[in-house]
Amino acid sequence: MRRDRPDRDDATERKAELLTAYVDGVAELTPAERHRLAERLARDPRARADQAAVRRLLERLRALPPVGAEPDWEAMERSIHQAVERALPQPWWRSWKWLAPAMTFATAAAVLLVLWSRPPRGLEPAVWPADHLPRDGRPGEDVVALWLDGHEVEVDVSASDMLGDAVPGDADPALVGDDSSTEVDLLPSTDLAWVDDLDEDALDRAEHWLAKTKG
Amino acid sequence: MALTLADPDHELTERFRDGDRTAFDLLVRRHQKGMWRLIRRYVKSDADAADVIQLAFVRAFRGLSTFRGTATVRSWLYRIAINCALSWLRDHRREQPTEIAEDALTEVNPAPARLSADDDRAGLRQAIEQLPPKQKLVLELRVFDDLSFKEVAELADCSENTAKVNFHYAVKRLREILGGDHAP
Repeated sequence: MRRDRPDRDDATERKAELLTAYVDGVAELTPAERHRLAERLARDPRARADQAAVRRLLERLRALPPVGAEPDWEAMERSIHQAVERALPQPWWRSWKWLAPAMTFATAAAVLLVLWSRPPRGLEPAVWPADHLPRDGRPGEDVVALWLDGHEVEVDVSASDMLGDAVPGDADPALVGDDSSTEVDLLPSTDLAWVDDLDEDALDRAEHWLAKTKG
Repeated sequence: MALTLADPDHELTERFRDGDRTAFDLLVRRHQKGMWRLIRRYVKSDADAADVIQLAFVRAFRGLSTFRGTATVRSWLYRIAINCALSWLRDHRREQPTEIAEDALTEVNPAPARLSADDDRAGLRQAIEQLPPKQKLVLELRVFDDLSFKEVAELADCSENTAKVNFHYAVKRLREILGGDHAP
């Protein structure tokens, strides 16, 4: 019967174990064990045959190529490094790293919303004279903006007391002036004091322009 | 008295404990080949072996600061690799393909000499597969991973002497299986 129980304590098997270990690497045996084996190999041809057979077998085993294909070791090293980095515990602030882009997006969205909801500049006055506001508090549709003498002036063209276009007799003489025509200028004709402020050169240019126009 | 050598990885573990992460990269560079070959004998595809080795090194990274140094770093890493491989096998048992002899599908009509070499390798591998698990483990660690019997014993969870005995019986059994010139 074959004996293959590793724990069997037998002198013959012990010698064979030592022989296998001896063939596989003498560094694994004590000096005393190596000495005994060397003596046995010198006097026992069968032990020498066993030694040669074990050596051949181990050489064949060690000559076997590794299982599988050799990977790219540098690539594997990098992938291991990355796997280890991923597995590292993250500092607390890393878990809030989404906050910066989220805040940026929210701010941009808020700015766009404000710009989108504001009417284009000039449709509504910044300050609306209280006495010209309609009853509902909003300017009427007949309001026009005029740029006069360096100031923006909102004029309600439907207000008859300003335009005086209903009946000539009802018109304010101050607005109509000397002119008896029914057309009403937005500027009173009497309000021409600025002409007096013109210098001689300006007046000459104006006269020249008028003469040229008439001509 | 058996020859004992200082662990060449000891300095790296000390550097790692002092906060030098590059020391771990050096350990990876030093041991990835051996760990990959060890793992590859358990899992049956290169891609799976690559996954398992990543897992093993992640575990090693987490545990290295508490490594006590009672074993060599290499045998400690290999123990982690074996555990990861066995754990992976448990999780993927149904996905494992039936093993096909190495190189069996690489050439349609291999030359006779090549065929003979392939047969020889396949015969050896099949013989190893017939060994009892403990003997197979000890033989592979000793022959393919070139570990000392002390390291083999640490990995096989037995005494150094038991590792030698298992190795002897593994060799003896292989000689019986293979016959011919190898027959005891």
